[in-house]
Amino acid sequence: MNVPGAPPAPSVHWSRSLRVRLLAVTLAGVAVAMVLAGLVLSGLFREHVQQQFQAALQLQLDQITARLEFDAQGQPVIAAEALSDPRWLKPYSGLYWQVDAMAPDGRERAGVLRSRSLWDTSLALQVDALADGAVHVHEMAGPQGAPLLVLERTVRADAEGVHAARWRLMVAADLHATQAATARFTGVLALSLAVLLVLLAAAAWAQVALGLKPLQALQRAVQDVQEARASQLQGSFPAEVQPLVDDFNAVLRRHGEVVERARTQAGNLAHALKTPLTVLDNAARAQTPTHGPELAALVREQVVVARRHIDWHLARSRVAASAHLPGQRTALQPVVEGLVRVMNKVHADRALDISVVQPPVSLFFAGESQDLQEMLGNLLDNACKWARSAVRLQAQLLPAGSEPAQPQLVVAVEDDGPGINAAQRAQALERGVRLDETVPGTGLGLAIVQDLAALYGGRLDLEPAGLGGLRATLTLPAANAH
Amino acid sequence: MRILLVEDDTLLRAQLRTALQGAGYTVDEADNGRDAQFLGETEAVDAVVLDLGLPVVDGLTVLKRWRAAGGNMPVLILTARDNWHEKVAGIDAGADDYLTKPFHLEELLARLRALIRRASGQASAVLQCGDWSLDTRSGRVTCAGQPVTLTAHEYKVLDYLMHRPGVLVSRAELTEHIYAQDFDRDSNTIEVFVGRLRKKMLPSAGSSADPAASARIETVRGMGYRLVPP
Repeated sequence: MNVPGAPPAPSVHWSRSLRVRLLAVTLAGVAVAMVLAGLVLSGLFREHVQQQFQAALQLQLDQITARLEFDAQGQPVIAAEALSDPRWLKPYSGLYWQVDAMAPDGRERAGVLRSRSLWDTSLALQVDALADGAVHVHEMAGPQGAPLLVLERTVRADAEGVHAARWRLMVAADLHATQAATARFTGVLALSLAVLLVLLAAAAWAQVALGLKPLQALQRAVQDVQEARASQLQGSFPAEVQPLVDDFNAVLRRHGEVVERARTQAGNLAHALKTPLTVLDNAARAQTPTHGPELAALVREQVVVARRHIDWHLARSRVAASAHLPGQRTALQPVVEGLVRVMNKVHADRALDISVVQPPVSLFFAGESQDLQEMLGNLLDNACKWARSAVRLQAQLLPAGSEPAQPQLVVAVEDDGPGINAAQRAQALERGVRLDETVPGTGLGLAIVQDLAALYGGRLDLEPAGLGGLRATLTLPAANAH
Repeated sequence: MRILLVEDDTLLRAQLRTALQGAGYTVDEADNGRDAQFLGETEAVDAVVLDLGLPVVDGLTVLKRWRAAGGNMPVLILTARDNWHEKVAGIDAGADDYLTKPFHLEELLARLRALIRRASGQASAVLQCGDWSLDTRSGRVTCAGQPVTLTAHEYKVLDYLMHRPGVLVSRAELTEHIYAQDFDRDSNTIEVFVGRLRKKMLPSAGSSADPAASARIETVRGMGYRLVPP
């Protein structure tokens, strides 16, 4: 899969190559199918040939049975001239008959009467007791070691004074010809299946090569992106690969946007920090002996300014990266529970009563969990700082209507603290303004919450609370519960 | 009171050490998670200031291990990142309070005082026992309304006892909580400090204070000391 000029693909274990895996599975399947087909077909053929052969022999047996007569001494007689097949007469012709006498005491005299073709041998078949009309089939070695198929049948002599109670009639034929035919058939079959296997393997290889070709094209396209020859994956791909390419391009686009935004924000932050740095630098250069406390105050003031810039830009960059990812979903409850645990611990000595009012169904925010945590954390922290004894968080779902078109998650956090008036409420949402310097904080909390909410297409409203203090209502896009 | 200070930045650790010692605390220090875990498990510290971003073992892991081993000293965590995710994780790991860097040293001291007070069941920042009073914020000690000047070690002994009025405190326990780990400890000096405290914490002669309203430090022979309210 190497491309000219590309670094050689690292050697991987064979099981990790798609091509090898596809080929291995296909070839294994085809080979098993071929072997099975060969076994079944040759088995069927052998059985068919043998049945034909046996049916022909059965006819001969019936003929012998019909020609069997007994003379005055009760000895069996078969008129040789009555049998039409010339092979009965030719020695070792491959077609034989034989009559055995079976005494009532079970002793047996083999070869009482034999076809001329048996010449000086006889068929030595083990003693067998057959019911009337039954025919048994055996395979045995005959004259000159030739494989024989033997059919036997037992008949009773009805005539008076017959020597033996029962006679065994046998006909046998050489299996050599049928075995040769079967072997020939199996050979031809094996050869054709092998040819078929090779053709199918070639087809499988071609299929895999064709099927994987778009991946090679994809790899080249990725390489182009990597080596900065292209900013997106280019080329047309089959319908199965195109969605992947589209997704990848979307990720690339998004990545580019994030990098661009990060660059802008780093620039903004650097720019913002240069002002306090310049002020400090100038103050340090113009030092005079009387500078002590003034310089300290100036440093403190400028450090506060710098810190606010950092907090502000960090908060913005955190959310900006994730605000527009589709399909994000965060359950409200675990986030609220975690934050309430923090509030209870951190404000433990004030014994605040923090209550959470939620509808029985789970609510979901259509966005990132850390952003939700950031917004609710700031609101709850604010409420806890100012509350006298109680903080209440109330969440509800506004179903989708004509306005707004999306379902909305509304979370209100209120406290029973002193509250702030309308002018102060507007001011609280201004960046970096702290209404009271006696309670710790950067003075960015509510403004950051408002900014984050806006990035998600939501908003933050401040109003007097039923409890007496401030009520901060956060409206955010909700996600479905499924 | 003994504070375990865990911070890997040398400059910040030095600043914190100075501030903590200035506030009358005995300070043990660690600059990595492994040492911090060891000190927290083996030394009798009254509170911990724990930075979360530490080399070797991170702060959250150290905190979880302390809590798993049954350590229940109050822990104040320092986080560099101002995000709630980390605060929730810290509190859930067993922290009692958090402070986001950068912070003011006064705020750190205030939070720490509150944690120690809460851990010993004291509600107010001004510890009161009879006509003795100790302001944990300013380090001001008064007896019957008159300010008393104490040395650093005398203050530490009184501070420890005032956090536990009526509780028997052994000499070994006092030693452990007053000296840092690497200090050459001598429990006889405790006797000296207590003797001096008894002399200094008396209403000044001629004052109108009621001697019956005065607290006193009682010696329980062979056991230790107990601060007895009037």
